Amino acid sequence: MKSTLAACLLATLALPAAADTTVGLLLPGSGNYAALGQDIEDGFRMALAEAGRDDITVIEADTEAKPQTGLTRARKLIMQDQADVLVGVVSSAVLAAVRDVVDGAGVPLIVANAGNDAATGADCSPFITRVSFSNSQLNRPMGEWMAAQGITSVYTLAPDYAAGQQMIGAFTAGFEAGGGKVVGGELTPFGKTEDFGPYLAKAKASGAEALYVFYGGADAISFVQQYDGFGLRDDMPLYSVGFLTAPLYLRSQGAAAEGVIGALHYLPMLDTPENMAFVTAYQAAHGGDLPSEYVVAGYDAGRLLLGALETGAEGRAAIAEALPKVAYDGPRGPLQIDPATNNIVQNVYIFETIKDDAGMSYRLLDTREQVRDAPNGCVMPG
Amino acid sequence: MFRLTTIRAATAALVLIALAAWSVHGDYLAREITAEIAILAILVLALDLVAGFGGMVSLAHGAIMGVGAYGYALANLAGLPPWPAALVGIVASTATGGVIGAISARLTGVFFLMVTLAFGQMIWALTFRADALGGDNGLGGIARPALPFVDSNDPLVFALYALLMLLACLLLCVAVLRSPFGHRFQAVHDNPARAAALGFAPERIRAQGFAISSMLAGVAGVLAAQHMQFVSPELMVWTASGEVLVVLILGGIGSVTGAMVGAAGYLLLKHWAAGWTDHWHLAVGLLLIAVVLAGGRGLSGLLERRRDA
Repeated sequence: MKSTLAACLLATLALPAAADTTVGLLLPGSGNYAALGQDIEDGFRMALAEAGRDDITVIEADTEAKPQTGLTRARKLIMQDQADVLVGVVSSAVLAAVRDVVDGAGVPLIVANAGNDAATGADCSPFITRVSFSNSQLNRPMGEWMAAQGITSVYTLAPDYAAGQQMIGAFTAGFEAGGGKVVGGELTPFGKTEDFGPYLAKAKASGAEALYVFYGGADAISFVQQYDGFGLRDDMPLYSVGFLTAPLYLRSQGAAAEGVIGALHYLPMLDTPENMAFVTAYQAAHGGDLPSEYVVAGYDAGRLLLGALETGAEGRAAIAEALPKVAYDGPRGPLQIDPATNNIVQNVYIFETIKDDAGMSYRLLDTREQVRDAPNGCVMPG
Repeated sequence: MFRLTTIRAATAALVLIALAAWSVHGDYLAREITAEIAILAILVLALDLVAGFGGMVSLAHGAIMGVGAYGYALANLAGLPPWPAALVGIVASTATGGVIGAISARLTGVFFLMVTLAFGQMIWALTFRADALGGDNGLGGIARPALPFVDSNDPLVFALYALLMLLACLLLCVAVLRSPFGHRFQAVHDNPARAAALGFAPERIRAQGFAISSMLAGVAGVLAAQHMQFVSPELMVWTASGEVLVVLILGGIGSVTGAMVGAAGYLLLKHWAAGWTDHWHLAVGLLLIAVVLAGGRGLSGLLERRRDA
């Protein structure tokens, strides 16, 4: 007993008297993206709880997914709350808004969702590290893979806004580099298209072998149902960046989503010990629900921060420097940060949405190992 | 007809002094909110000029302000220093408002509302989809103006600078309303038939009034771009214009000073209520209903009537 006490005492004394770390969570707490924000926060807190550290203070700030609001909140976290590190950012517009502020103030930001290529491309910063994905990272390998499958012509559809344009652009580049040809495409009015019939008719008339789309949110559900109802399934198989049939929407899509092939950076059914442990822990805390890719992004944001703190980094500059050097095997597989861009290097999983005894599920078709984005104009200061 | 009564002048002075004192003694957030209030107040003032005194209830003012903000941002990013860039932004807003005014000045009531809504949505949609304007990701890296002796990147300096701009816009607004043009502008609204009989050209006068109001909205847009150092189509979406209208009614339409009272009340309520609930819109809604039911003269109107009684 005495020796145990002494050991405890020694252990306490041996610990460095580390200063508390203040984390600002920049997530939408209200509005369309509130569900994503909640998933990311759950994942982030899960990582902190696993580590059992009590020297990390988390301050929440609601960005409402609006750039102006997000910027005001980020400034408050930096100037008033003296946050050491910011975590979150769901919308690329919010990321673009806060980019100059975190870069100027030298506060590390761990991006847990927003996928705009420019954030780790032309607008990259040593203070911005991304653990989610970039739009190109998911779409380009999908284009290459489809070309390698012998598909020669594709028609594309996506909502008409920055992310939609970027996703289709990256896919087209990958697909055409592989020898395929995008024979046509349409950008549909963002958030206002309820009837996809005319676009599906155009796609059919194009005579392309396959259809490649990007849709998210309510659009993802209505698009998949209308594609199914339109009877295009036999003539034109549906491929997409994997968000289309992500767990969040699959329940509402039901059997209509059967056969859709997509690419994502995480699938809950990955058969690795790290993922099994992660899924079990998440399910125990959330009534058996499977973790979404957003939970994983939040979790990895936490793991990355913890990894940086474990190296003894303290304060903004040291944490910013330590973050890109963290690498480990997580739920989604091996994960590292590319020092050239501070974007994540990760596996991209190509999967088919299937119907099995338990309902809708996914089957892994192929894995693109360790996908790394080209620097795309990113120049890190020496 | 507009009269700058003692109580109105006193209210305006009081709000300005209170905000200045709050930002001097307050923390970082107080200064940010003060700047936000000043910018919103200028935009509400612009809307009050056309809606309160010309009967032209516009749902394009958010978009017109956005044109000013983008004008400033693009000019600045193209290499123009802040002050000339500000001029570009204000001219862009005035020109946009001039065109919208010229086309819609013959319409009144709900038709005017619809046409301005359509123009606003067109401007928003074009910006949202334009790759060169950054689409919905917006534009960043915008500079703040160089001021003599002080650094405009200091939140306190910027808050006081924004308050000074608000004061300038307020004085300009009063001067316009008291000028012969201002009298004609109000006459055309109060009694179009008699104004026409006097030889006024109602449509031209209304269009000119709309352009002047758009110029003020442009000032608000330039200030917003300087404050956030970032612009996005979020500024222009029609609900932003609706919000301005709500603030105007809350503060008191047709009173000039109501713009300041409304903007301060609205943003303080928003920031205070958002601290403990995600449903702060509900509080604003209830207050709006209460204010309208209490006579529709807004918070500043309630103040004035109390004194009259």
